[in-house]
Amino acid sequence: MCEYYFDGRGKAFRPIVVVLMARACNVHHNNCRDMQASQRTIALIAEMIHTASLVHDDIIDDASSRRGKDTVNQIWGEKKAVLAGDFILSVASVALARIGNTTIISVLTQVIEDLVRGEFLQLGSKENENERFAHYIEKTFKKTASLLANSCKAVSILGCPDPVVHEIAYQYGKNVGIAFQLIDDVLDFTSCTDQLGKPAASDLKLGLATGPALFACEQFPEMNAMIMRRFSLPGDVERARQYVLQSDGVQQTTYLAQQYCHKAIREISKLRPSPERDALIQLTEIVLTRDK
Amino acid sequence: MSLRELLRRPPRPGAPSALWRTLLRPPPVPRRSLFSGSPTHWNQVVSEAEKIVGYPTSFMSLRCLLSDELSNIAMQVRKLVGTRHPLLNTARRLVHDSRNNLQMRGLVVLLISKAAGPSSTAALSLKHDMVSGIYPSQRSLAEITELIHTAFLVHRGIVNLSELNSSDGPLKDMQFGNKIAILSGDFLLANACTGLAQLQNTKVVELVSSALIDLVQGIYCENSTSAEENCITDDIGISTWKEQIFLSHSALLAKSCQAAMELAKHDTEVQDMAFQYGKHMSMSHKINSDLQPFIRGKCGGSIAFNLNSAPVVLHQEFLGREMWIKQIREAQEKGSLNYSKLQEAILAGKGVTSAIDLCRYHGNKALEALECFPPSEARSALENIVYAVTRFP
Repeated sequence: MCEYYFDGRGKAFRPIVVVLMARACNVHHNNCRDMQASQRTIALIAEMIHTASLVHDDIIDDASSRRGKDTVNQIWGEKKAVLAGDFILSVASVALARIGNTTIISVLTQVIEDLVRGEFLQLGSKENENERFAHYIEKTFKKTASLLANSCKAVSILGCPDPVVHEIAYQYGKNVGIAFQLIDDVLDFTSCTDQLGKPAASDLKLGLATGPALFACEQFPEMNAMIMRRFSLPGDVERARQYVLQSDGVQQTTYLAQQYCHKAIREISKLRPSPERDALIQLTEIVLTRDK
Repeated sequence: MSLRELLRRPPRPGAPSALWRTLLRPPPVPRRSLFSGSPTHWNQVVSEAEKIVGYPTSFMSLRCLLSDELSNIAMQVRKLVGTRHPLLNTARRLVHDSRNNLQMRGLVVLLISKAAGPSSTAALSLKHDMVSGIYPSQRSLAEITELIHTAFLVHRGIVNLSELNSSDGPLKDMQFGNKIAILSGDFLLANACTGLAQLQNTKVVELVSSALIDLVQGIYCENSTSAEENCITDDIGISTWKEQIFLSHSALLAKSCQAAMELAKHDTEVQDMAFQYGKHMSMSHKINSDLQPFIRGKCGGSIAFNLNSAPVVLHQEFLGREMWIKQIREAQEKGSLNYSKLQEAILAGKGVTSAIDLCRYHGNKALEALECFPPSEARSALENIVYAVTRFP
């Protein structure tokens, strides 16, 4: 049951970024591309923390499909699913402890705390429009980008003693992570169920106003009321979807994601050139143009 | 307004700001103890032990109580009033019985820290940090142990949405309850992880994380056995039962006690004895609470009891599987189980007396483990806890 999502069919986006970052930092430090075992473990832990949070998120959202298959809660029931999430997290925690580095433990523990706080931010909504957007970006950072930012930071700490490099790795992960989630939110409007592996317009159905909806709201103030009532009235979801598609919310969100990617490229370019560094630069392009 | 009142009242919008303040106040209700015959005896043991460790044990840290998240949770829990979601009961128990059940683990970690004292190899500068003979890191550990225990109490209360029936009330309420239960459990766990990381000791992180794994596995087994609808218990012997109970009830305390020794840099022998005390004391504690329906039942009305509790599992072992299933069938009436009838059958057998023996066996093992610590108030308090759980009328 705990192996259910580790079937090699996910995008494995996080481990790929972490592995590339590890090698890029190692080259930067001593021109050696080999990865340390502990850095590989970080990549695994990153994917485990991600999966544990998916399992719990799916129960919270009562989701029925993910990555093109039924969710754990759908098959085994909520009681066991919550334990599966806890189990994956505990195994990750033991693996983390065995690396034997207290700094690394603190860096990755921050992720767990951010994930929970992000989930709480998602519970509330802000009345003020400006605040609402900042709230959305903060939530996006905590729920998605913190994991990438801190696992990139962890492998850089293991690979190179220079704090400047740690900050570069952190900023790259943070900016790519936010861009990744912004595009995810765009795809929720523009893509269909088959491509995503999960139902489309799911955010609206959950009452969540993501980037495209918040931008659309600036053009169509009538959406304000819908956001405040979390799209709870019949027809709200469909009407909001139409508003978003009519507005340039999708383009604006994509543009914002591009800005985050540019920031990520500026950061990573400070490292010494290597095939891995260039791959990390190309990866930002893939983040922006992906359709699943 | 106290949390207890909050839980009773219908949902009403209002500021939760005063909530944490009321949470800090000890409950004014008379405390009912789990322990046989002498509730006051147990309370006495606990309150004396609390004096020894410095100050009344309030483990849910202030940091955690003051947070926006907790007041958010309390607001959400209020919306559950009137539903049948188990989270509500967990929250009620947290407020009512917090002294009896929930803080016991933290208290034991503090007592054993004090009983062991500073290690002879510890730097003198470190000894200055001790308050009432306990390192600050050990106090954090005690708090983390409570956080983890509470997190799993909350996660245990998740319900399977597909198995609901009409008596459980609207599906929407149960979905909402699950959502809040997961979030609040995760919040407590995240706090525990942060606290662990701050201890700056990778061995302790590993040890406590492995206790998390044990706990999850133990609760998983608990679920698969209690899911039996036709009232047929699992065919497990007492040794399998003990393994499962170790995971679900003892591993956390055992490993926390061990970790407390590691934090004070005690050698592996002392660490092992602390582990043994935590293990055997909590086994004996669990068996004691399993025995309650059979001891109290003699004088009062009987209540439903867990078919996977120690006396029942032992009873089944003495009787043989076939006879036991026959007894269950005889106690079944119109699809539901007549617990008093089954209880009589169990009281007639040897299950109860051998469960008492087992409880005392683990109690003695716990006392033996304490012998490696020098005599002290703290050690006596740990002994008294064992005496309290192994005492039967």
